[in-house]
Amino acid sequence: MRRKGVNYSKYGYIFSLPFIFAFLVFSLYPILYTAAIGFTNLQGLIPKPIQILDDPFQNFKDLIYHNVAFRTSLSNTALLWIANFIPQIVLALLLAAWFTNQRLRIRGQGAFKVLLYMPNIITASTIAVLFSTLFAYPMGPVNSFFELMGWSDEPILFLQDKTTARGIVSFIQFWMWYGNTMIILVAGVMGINPALFESAAMDGANGFQTFFRITLPSLRTILLYVLIVSMIGGLQMFDIPQLFIAPGGGPDNATLTTSVFIYGQAFKGSYLYNRAAAASMIMFLIAAVLSAALFYAMRDRDAARIRKEEKKLRKAAKAAARGA
Amino acid sequence: MTNRERSGTVPLSVHAMKESGKVSRGVNKTVIYIVLVFLALLSILPFWTMFVNATRSTPEIQSGLSLLPSTHLLSNWNVLLDKSFDPFRGFLNSLIISGAATLLTVYFSSLTAYGLTVYNWKMRQPFFTFIMCVMMIPAQASAIGFYQFMYKLHWTNSFLPLILPAIAAPAVVFFMRQYLLATLSIEMVEAARIDGSGEFYTFNRIVMPIMIPAVATQAIFAFVANWNNLFMPLILLTQKDKYTLPIMVSLLKGDIYKTEFGSIYLGLALTTLPLFVIYFLLSRYIIAGVALGGVKE
Amino acid sequence: MKRLFTGATAIILLASVLSACGGNSNSSGNAGASSSPSTGGSSSAESSAGNEPKEKVTINLWAFTDEIPNMTTKYLATHPDANVEFKTTIIATTDGAYQPALDQALAAGGKDAPDIYAAEAAFVLKYSQGDASDYAANYADLGLTDDMVKEADIAQYSVDIGSKDGQLKALGYQATGGAFIYRRSLAKDTFGTDDPATIKNEIGPGWDKFFDAAAKLKAKGYGIVSGDGDIWHPIENSSDVGWLVDGKLHIDPKREQFLDLSKKLKDNGFHNDTQDWTEAWYADMSGSGKQPIFGFFGPAWLINYVMNGQVKDTNGDWAVTEPPTGFFWGGTWLLANKDVAKDEAKKAAVADFIHWVTLDTSETGLQNYWANGTMKDGEQGTKDSVASAVVMSKSNGQIDLLGGQNMFDVFVPANANASGKNLTQYDESINIIWRDQVREYTSGNKSRDQAIADFKQRVKDELNIDSE
Repeated sequence: MRRKGVNYSKYGYIFSLPFIFAFLVFSLYPILYTAAIGFTNLQGLIPKPIQILDDPFQNFKDLIYHNVAFRTSLSNTALLWIANFIPQIVLALLLAAWFTNQRLRIRGQGAFKVLLYMPNIITASTIAVLFSTLFAYPMGPVNSFFELMGWSDEPILFLQDKTTARGIVSFIQFWMWYGNTMIILVAGVMGINPALFESAAMDGANGFQTFFRITLPSLRTILLYVLIVSMIGGLQMFDIPQLFIAPGGGPDNATLTTSVFIYGQAFKGSYLYNRAAAASMIMFLIAAVLSAALFYAMRDRDAARIRKEEKKLRKAAKAAARGA
Repeated sequence: MTNRERSGTVPLSVHAMKESGKVSRGVNKTVIYIVLVFLALLSILPFWTMFVNATRSTPEIQSGLSLLPSTHLLSNWNVLLDKSFDPFRGFLNSLIISGAATLLTVYFSSLTAYGLTVYNWKMRQPFFTFIMCVMMIPAQASAIGFYQFMYKLHWTNSFLPLILPAIAAPAVVFFMRQYLLATLSIEMVEAARIDGSGEFYTFNRIVMPIMIPAVATQAIFAFVANWNNLFMPLILLTQKDKYTLPIMVSLLKGDIYKTEFGSIYLGLALTTLPLFVIYFLLSRYIIAGVALGGVKE
Repeated sequence: MKRLFTGATAIILLASVLSACGGNSNSSGNAGASSSPSTGGSSSAESSAGNEPKEKVTINLWAFTDEIPNMTTKYLATHPDANVEFKTTIIATTDGAYQPALDQALAAGGKDAPDIYAAEAAFVLKYSQGDASDYAANYADLGLTDDMVKEADIAQYSVDIGSKDGQLKALGYQATGGAFIYRRSLAKDTFGTDDPATIKNEIGPGWDKFFDAAAKLKAKGYGIVSGDGDIWHPIENSSDVGWLVDGKLHIDPKREQFLDLSKKLKDNGFHNDTQDWTEAWYADMSGSGKQPIFGFFGPAWLINYVMNGQVKDTNGDWAVTEPPTGFFWGGTWLLANKDVAKDEAKKAAVADFIHWVTLDTSETGLQNYWANGTMKDGEQGTKDSVASAVVMSKSNGQIDLLGGQNMFDVFVPANANASGKNLTQYDESINIIWRDQVREYTSGNKSRDQAIADFKQRVKDELNIDSE
């Protein structure tokens, strides 16, 4: 019996080998290389010998302390993500609640889901260019529409005002992802034990109470998954900010996200590879820290809950043993 | 014990409440339907405008909004081609890259997932945790180094750096592993071993067919993700005949096309047409896949 | 369904492996065939190359529009005994896609390296004087001497831009000296005449007179220019020095004045507050903006390539005159790769083509066709102002848009007034930042000092250039 385990275990290694190899070559090495470049003076397209800077952390320090554009991009990335995510999760939860509410029985759910998910599948760059032309001034479709409805007397320069530019970028991200989030949440709600809902109904709970006391807590794991995935994606927001307003960055750098900043440093202007690499490393650290924090929160609650329940069971058993 | 159970009849007050509950539910439903229809329109309108404007001429577009198509499709098409926008080339390039990458992703992810579930090996759990961590790495962290690396290898303007890394796809491995854990029984593998089949043979001939639903779902997502990828191809491909569709779209906005709105919309419509086709044919599977991917026990 | 899927993907994988391996070397050949719609010329040249089995010289041509590739067609048609073949690569400059590709190709060298490459005014300095200038051959080494340049009376600014340490490395075929293009009807209504000589003195010289004219126009309900971008180009080119002095950012007082002039335009409603290259700006070319606009600043190509398609009903109602201050805007320069000198045959072929485009003042020289709009046989094409004043003086620059006025009368002196001495290789990026900050100031979002401070900070952030 033991022989089988020993004999075949090596296949585990063999089968995983392509993955490991590809990862080492195409992911790990580039990451290390990027990190290394962050410590050098690699700039410009004409090949020159690279040296490590006298102060290895020069690039990092410059970025954090002296580079206003980088700091702006960090705050923009956070701002744009929050403005996109909060409406997204609220709407997705609302829709999920409606779609899974047995009493409401919404018809045509399948069709609605297909339509609401659609923006997610279309190329982001296409959407960016499309929206850019839709919001054109003076006679883009949106401006024409506003005028038709009497909402504005004269055409609005959507793309030049910082607030509207940011608002539209956030809106586009929201529009692209809320269908995706909704479907995941619906699946999550379907996965909740129906017995929970039945006992809640018997206890006389109405829609609101059921939602906030039963559904939400049970969805905690999925909500955290959605949060992490959206956050990692948000940190890398590139296509929309880059293409929606040309040149990437928007009016007074209002829509400059970190990815756009890094791209601009490395592949335009003065080809400052070392600074771009340093910025990439900083973003990596931020992503790692945020993910770790979220994972920590997640693990703790699950484990804590389990521990609490075990304690309760033990107490109940003891009480029963004493009582009986 | 509620009042209902004790008395055996439904008190008038509860009955009244249920009636008003029905009315408010009716009102609720109307509101909900209005919201849903509004959202559905919100999803459709931009694309509808795009397709309609692809058929209108630039002066028509500049004069206002219209929901009805016009007759300038052919002239827009000619302008587009004249300005050296080659949708066929872009389509072919995108197809090659996405297709090859998808194949590699689903096959090797299944392989790795199989290795993680069926075999009991020392590094199994650490390796799995490692894969989870890799999932979190943002693309930018490796982008600069990747670019420099490929530049030194003279692999810029080649499709290989866009295809080969697809072999290592942590998210897909994760998904396949979940699926295998749920559907694969070790007995099947052991039975195959007894019948004398080698490990690879078992995987390719017996296990892969079982995984087809998961493979199909992940294949769709991998294909779409690769098709839509802008960043990596943008920095690696500089020769015009190597451009993928997203790159061409990003160039539509620039100088040469600024005045010709009709052709811009047409270019956009062309680049998204394949996606729409795929989506409407396979929407059921896609949505099921999203749902599956979200539920992680 | 499943089998179809598997089969299709298998085919795709096979195709991808084959194309990925063989794609590298073969692809650039395709680019030549598919780029210009009328490249029948190259194959006909082959057949009429005579009986000598000389090896065809392949010239790798890199451009960012199809203008120069179309010229190769004309070249081969007018030079039937030229034993060359052009392999063209066209990458548009949008989103900065052209330069990285060109730079990589130059750095890589080898057989596929560009032999002749084009650079636009926005970034030509990088290639003629800056970081990439080491790749460029000296025109003298190709046999194109300074005497030829003098004989053709090439505009001085063009020579200045294309020279490094006195050695000429780049020349253009267009001259893009700028003029003021105005509406005749609005001029008659406001100033009583549409005569270019009179208008010239109404709007200048100098900006004070310009704003006086603006006030007069405003009284009649007209704006003088479409947006602040329109006055930027003359201001930019009128400064004494460029953005960089000794490697540090320097704001020339004349350029700094743009902040104030732009604000003055906006506060007084002298313009429609448009941004150049947007819909609203084009709309003003046909007088359909918020208020009718008097004029635009621009070179000949603005008239013939941009306004041409936008003027609609106002066609014929325009005229040109000298601007308040001389400037140039845009233009394309041709450079040759240093390595072409290594091969005699290639060197001769490259030199001949470049000479034909930039220095040939004869009837069959490119500039003659270009100026008169006779690039396509039997068709009256677009006319344009060319680099050689000699050619322009013998050409007919009358165009309908200008109501029959001969544009060369104005553009020849305009070219002479442009300056090629106040540019840097970072201009494109710096200008974008500068215009953005000026816009913030004029729209009231920032104070003047804040805008300047932010400008300096952003230049440092994005380009690593310190301020003085």
